[in-house]
Amino acid sequence: MELTGSHSLTQPPETVWRALFDPEVLARAIPGCETLAQTSDDAFAATVKLKIGPVSARFKGEVELADKEPPFACTLSGKGSGGIAGFAKGAARVTLAPEGTGTVLSYTAEAALGGKLAALGSRLIQATAAKLADEFFTRFADVLNETTTTATTD
Amino acid sequence: MKAPPFAYRLAEDLPQALDLYARSAGDAVYLAGGHSIVPSLSLRLQAPALLIDISRIAALAGVSLGPEGLRIGATTPHAVLLEDPLVATHAPLLAEAARHVAHPAIRNRATFGGNLVLADPASEFPAVVRALRAELEVEGPEGARQIAAEDFFLDLYTTALQPGEILRAVLIPPPAPGQLVAFAELARRQGDFAMVGAAVRLVPKAGVIGTADIVFHSVGLTPMRAVAAEAALIGQALDAATIAAACAAVAQDLQPGDDPVLPAATRLHLAGVLLGRLLRRVQGEWA
Repeated sequence: MELTGSHSLTQPPETVWRALFDPEVLARAIPGCETLAQTSDDAFAATVKLKIGPVSARFKGEVELADKEPPFACTLSGKGSGGIAGFAKGAARVTLAPEGTGTVLSYTAEAALGGKLAALGSRLIQATAAKLADEFFTRFADVLNETTTTATTD
Repeated sequence: MKAPPFAYRLAEDLPQALDLYARSAGDAVYLAGGHSIVPSLSLRLQAPALLIDISRIAALAGVSLGPEGLRIGATTPHAVLLEDPLVATHAPLLAEAARHVAHPAIRNRATFGGNLVLADPASEFPAVVRALRAELEVEGPEGARQIAAEDFFLDLYTTALQPGEILRAVLIPPPAPGQLVAFAELARRQGDFAMVGAAVRLVPKAGVIGTADIVFHSVGLTPMRAVAAEAALIGQALDAATIAAACAAVAQDLQPGDDPVLPAATRLHLAGVLLGRLLRRVQGEWA
């Protein structure tokens, strides 16, 4: 299963890059994020509670950032751990391209799902995952705009 | 994968179903045809403590005709919509759409109400009930209420139903004089989720189009009403120029996203093509 998307941000790639590694920004951007802890320089552990129609559960997961090319690209790989989230893992290549004074953030994600899914199962997961990815980057942009505004007024 | 453990109760009537829910501390799910609940349990996308089976509640079953219109019970399986003579006469758009919903084995068990409360934007029925301006009758802990289909679909898999509420029936108002309807979708294979689909309802008034309802599915997070395309039709004669204007206006109404199956531009193009076909089909019956 593949997901793609792109978002325009008003900050330059350097600012966006730092935010991608900022647990505070990530915690506010991840939909339904309950806890987020930095486990190493490039790794985070998160608990997320989701309720989108028939998808309703608390997920635990780990996210790792790798293949870093600051401030233009990195790979986020995540996997669910335990119970309900145990079947999911995936990786997203995120690229940041300067556009005027801002940045275009694009991602291509590949998610692997355990087992063979029937039509409805894959539709449920694909639609939910696409919405969550979009929501994450929309909120990420919002948080980023807010943080930058606060920083300049200080 | 196997479903997580859950308890199961068969509700005899609506008060019992609501009571079971009230005592579940919000950790229960209503089960009717099971065609979205069971796969999501098996995938462990949800883990409710209790399933409340509402499939045998008499108040949720049956199709009947009254002065307010055609009333379709929530647990009516899709297959009945295809065959029922009342549906064929009073809501032919639903019967036409039902042919496109999945496959016969699924249509025998999956329920009309279950389909609507799942609110999958790729599904046909939400678009059809919106185009027909249906009313949804709901029963819940706070009593009964009616929600217009127009206000029911809020977001991906999200409806105006409150926790514990049960969709009881769908009321389809009687057709307006001269009303013409059409439904079609484009899918790579029969029974697949559509790349795009649409339901159209037009009502003539003094030789021109008086009312237009155009609702697309599979092109957004909800069934999408094409407001600009409707506006391009209202007050006009249904001729080639009007149809072309409505198809062009679709670009203002829909902003589909790119997805791995289909680029956004292709999906938008197909939506315009499909609307053109539907309007020309209606034009053939136009008095």
